[in-house]
Amino acid sequence: MHDKLIQKLEILSDAAKYDASCASGSAGKRQAGKTDKAGIGSLTGGSGICHSFTPDGRCVSLLKILMTNYCIYDCHYCINRVSSNVRRARFSVKETVDLTLNFYKRNYIEGLFLSSGIVGSPDLTMESMVRIAKSLRLDHGFKGYIHLKTIPNASPELQAEAGLYADRLSINVEMPTQPSLNKYAPEKDLGAIHGAMNTLKDKITEHKVDKTHSGKRPPRFAPGGQSTQMIIGADDSNDKIILGTSVKLYSEQKLRRVYYSAFSPIPDASQVLPLKPAPLIREHRLYQADWLLRFYGFTLDEIVHDDMLDMDHDPKLAWALRNRHVFPIDLNKADKMLLLRVPGLGARTVQKILSIRRYTKLNWIDLTKMRLPLKKLKPFISVGDYSPDIHLLDSNNFELQFKQPKQIELFGA
Amino acid sequence: MKTITVTSVPGFDKWREASRECLAHGIPPEHVIWQNAHSVQDDLFGHEEQTQATSNFQIKYTIPKSALALFKYALCHSDTNRFALCYRVLWRIIYENKNLIQLKTDEDIMQLYALAKAVKRDAYKMSAFLRFRELNNEGNEHFVAWYEPEHYSLEIKLDFFQTRFKNMRWSILTPYRAAHWDTETLFLEDNPDPSVVPDDDRIEKYWLTYYANIFNPARIKTNAMLNQMPKKYWKNMPETSLIDDMIKQSGARAHKMIIDGNKH
Repeated sequence: MHDKLIQKLEILSDAAKYDASCASGSAGKRQAGKTDKAGIGSLTGGSGICHSFTPDGRCVSLLKILMTNYCIYDCHYCINRVSSNVRRARFSVKETVDLTLNFYKRNYIEGLFLSSGIVGSPDLTMESMVRIAKSLRLDHGFKGYIHLKTIPNASPELQAEAGLYADRLSINVEMPTQPSLNKYAPEKDLGAIHGAMNTLKDKITEHKVDKTHSGKRPPRFAPGGQSTQMIIGADDSNDKIILGTSVKLYSEQKLRRVYYSAFSPIPDASQVLPLKPAPLIREHRLYQADWLLRFYGFTLDEIVHDDMLDMDHDPKLAWALRNRHVFPIDLNKADKMLLLRVPGLGARTVQKILSIRRYTKLNWIDLTKMRLPLKKLKPFISVGDYSPDIHLLDSNNFELQFKQPKQIELFGA
Repeated sequence: MKTITVTSVPGFDKWREASRECLAHGIPPEHVIWQNAHSVQDDLFGHEEQTQATSNFQIKYTIPKSALALFKYALCHSDTNRFALCYRVLWRIIYENKNLIQLKTDEDIMQLYALAKAVKRDAYKMSAFLRFRELNNEGNEHFVAWYEPEHYSLEIKLDFFQTRFKNMRWSILTPYRAAHWDTETLFLEDNPDPSVVPDDDRIEKYWLTYYANIFNPARIKTNAMLNQMPKKYWKNMPETSLIDDMIKQSGARAHKMIIDGNKH
């Protein structure tokens, strides 16, 4: 049987796959039925559970669908633009709610990630999306995760209401610069997007305050914060521009997460677009760099030396190769920020080193026991009974040893 | 030499009782042989040396919380050596170094962490990959799942399932034990009968449709998928039956997009 709902689901999940975000984390803890007999679901506190994985390597954590793929806009990179020839469909509020609950009860998902084409007007679209979230929360006591992709031009009242029911709100900037937006998404305006993000930011901070002066806790508002996505390699923006945009979004709009999505060809593509997919390795390097910027204390200028990231080495190793004078670093003495800069030491390993070091001095044998990537570490560190050959770091062909054979897997089977 | 047979799985409570008793008698780890008989009878000591040490139980030992948490996970491992290892670490914390647990380069501690880590991962995968099917039960929703954890992970994840699906009737069956929840009480049943799990579910076809369509054929990263979802988990996950075809057809589908793009 090929029923109508299956057809809709085919169309509206196919249309949603170009959004890389699948995360369902960091919106705090909560559960249904703590005080009453109704409702379903919980948030476990940490990052959400990946319930499955598809052969593109991505995790399936949420029911990620479009409410509708009808759209009045004409963004070239988008499969749902008005000039595209794709099949169109629209879920009703009830269909979306039922599907979410039925999937959730079978432990397929952590919740719903709802996005939509613009149908009628931004306000009408946003209103229907809010109705779905509201019904899940109020009619069904759903305590799972809800991520709504906000419509940038919808009214502030609707944005505010969305935040009452959603754990996370997001607006995609799509392109890092206005000229690129002009070319690829003529109806989108970077200023308006930033404006909407700022409105959300203010709401989120306002509601984060533990208690109001009257002693009451303000209603929750998108406790998981906001995120966004940039498409990589459709326009000609270089990595420095892209990461520069991210740095601003993290510091000014207080975003939780910026996602990078390597441009990949879509069915019925617009002619303005490149024909070939952007290399996935670039997307990978951007994520690595993004991580270093947020958690490892690196600055943008440190990470992107030229305009593009080094594709052959991960950004931390590339930085180390450019800054050999800093090394070797003594693992028994260096402070945390310095340890974080050693290629091959992740944040967790650094924590481990700091904790061991309080009780005993680290020697080479300890590193082998900790199963660290010794080959990578070797030239950059010293411990109690080991220090590297200084000439090694200074030699001209030093970096050759880190050159990896082409990562075939990354470019497709 | 003292032999202790823990006759239940995973055996955390039994291990703790027996360990306390051994400590009270000052029996060092090298004089204790731990066995795990996979039997469901709730009887602590199999045989010999039924010691009465109740009076000595008052001795208080300070064991760091982090160690107890590690024991809890490690004792859910399927490795029979877990009891001996945990007792040895316990002994060494008391008589050798109260900060032992921080020495992550110590052989015993490394092994303890390794066991705990394996159990944590196994338990996480259980909360991720377990699939409920609805039992046709005349209007009464009842969800049933069959899952084969590598370790005794059901015990670790009971809280999770009870919290998330509190107002739902469900049963989780594993080869060694089942947990039944009726929205109020939990009932455990040893060696359950897997034939009560339904073969199909009315919603599964939608899930399969979703899984096939959320996948992007223009980017294949099979290894990344296998890393997170090794094949050993596949047999109880309905969507995995689609994977082979999805990969086979992906090249042609991605190619078609490029060809179609050229036509404009």
